[in-house]
Amino acid sequence: MTPVAAAARAGTAEPARHQPSVTELVAASVPAGCDARALWRALGHAGVARSLLTDSAESLGIDPGRLSELLTALDARLAPGPVLSVCVQVATVLPLLETCAATSPLAAGVLREMLRGEAMVALAATDAGLSGSALLDLRTRAEIDADGVTLDGGKEWITNAGQSDHLLVLARCRPARHFTSFCWVLVPARHPGVSFRPAAGALLPGAGLGHLRLDGVRLGREHVIGRPGRALAELARQLGAERLAGALWARALCRRVLADTQRQLLARSTGTATLWDNAAVRDRFARCVVQLCQLDALCELSTTRAITPAYGMVLKSTCATTTDQILAECLNLRGAAAYDDDGLSRTREQFAMFGIAGGVTGAMLAGIADHADELLDALG
Amino acid sequence: MDANFVALLRSHLKYAGDLPITGDSGLRDLGLDSLRSIELLFAVEDAYGVVIPDESLNDATFETADTLWAVIEKMSAPVPGTET
Repeated sequence: MTPVAAAARAGTAEPARHQPSVTELVAASVPAGCDARALWRALGHAGVARSLLTDSAESLGIDPGRLSELLTALDARLAPGPVLSVCVQVATVLPLLETCAATSPLAAGVLREMLRGEAMVALAATDAGLSGSALLDLRTRAEIDADGVTLDGGKEWITNAGQSDHLLVLARCRPARHFTSFCWVLVPARHPGVSFRPAAGALLPGAGLGHLRLDGVRLGREHVIGRPGRALAELARQLGAERLAGALWARALCRRVLADTQRQLLARSTGTATLWDNAAVRDRFARCVVQLCQLDALCELSTTRAITPAYGMVLKSTCATTTDQILAECLNLRGAAAYDDDGLSRTREQFAMFGIAGGVTGAMLAGIADHADELLDALG
Repeated sequence: MDANFVALLRSHLKYAGDLPITGDSGLRDLGLDSLRSIELLFAVEDAYGVVIPDESLNDATFETADTLWAVIEKMSAPVPGTET
């Protein structure tokens, strides 16, 4: 454990007869329908954010059991936007900042604020006008000199971009097209030169989705955090936790939607019976349950093994296809009711992000084919 | 280069197959793409208990088997005056 994480967690070391679960903490502290900032503040005050950090390198800095509990509890209580806001921060930003905190007092300070729920941080990796999977070609530049750093470029489709206090920006600090050419810059979100434009539409309200411009953003040298040349490697490693978080959230969502759908099928009369008594309906529903069980098995396996980049791609593509197929089938089974305002059809539209954000399914499958030997060897 | 290093390298080089890996083998030519380079970095650091220093963390270090091995050897060497 880094000294910072130890110190950050020291405040919760009071002996207690009953250690509340994450589910209990969320139920007691998260107001229904709250926005992302109120949610993050509540999770920080309740100690949930700091309770997720772990020393285990295999679990990528996050306790998978508590992460699963958190995402399940939030999925049951809140709209997807605020949940996405939390998901990115706990699975990716917190562990990355903790790594950087070992060598950066600024990162350590912001990490402490995050864990208390007093600050939100957006991860700004995807460059404007560039495929999210083309990180080696990133054009956002960090010109580092003796006195500081100057940032120029743009980032797009950034979760929390419009509601964060700081931006963790992945930027090019060397010209070579190599993974060692990138650094992290921690940018105050309202610093001169930073501008934000909300993403068109309101598909995921509460996620703070939008695009960032960084025009001559001048900062002190201390804002370049972490060890130079390791930023992309650290991000690639942390993607495993992000993939796992997505799969755990998808599992909770699919289970909830299937349970709701079954209740509706049991309640809907066909005159002499209910829809649930129809053999064709039961067959289609059962296939969804089988798919969910497959996702569940993969989630469980993923909480006990290292998530390599290749395995992370398996996790992500499974999560995307399973969610899409289950939501589509439940949409058909529910019929017209699924098209109510904020009904299942909207949920399906929102969760199409599992097949897009962080890498489209096609790119994941191409990566899986590229690493097929490694994945097959691991099964041998 | 020790045999363990060659075996570790081979597991990250998708085109290496049974080809001999020598000191001047170009790692990119043998299939070391960016994702595999990152995995190799962490694998080398774990296997040899070293941290590749900031000044060596660049594309030149990952150019050939020799250039990467040279950094590992340098970092593994005992600091003068600390030998037991």
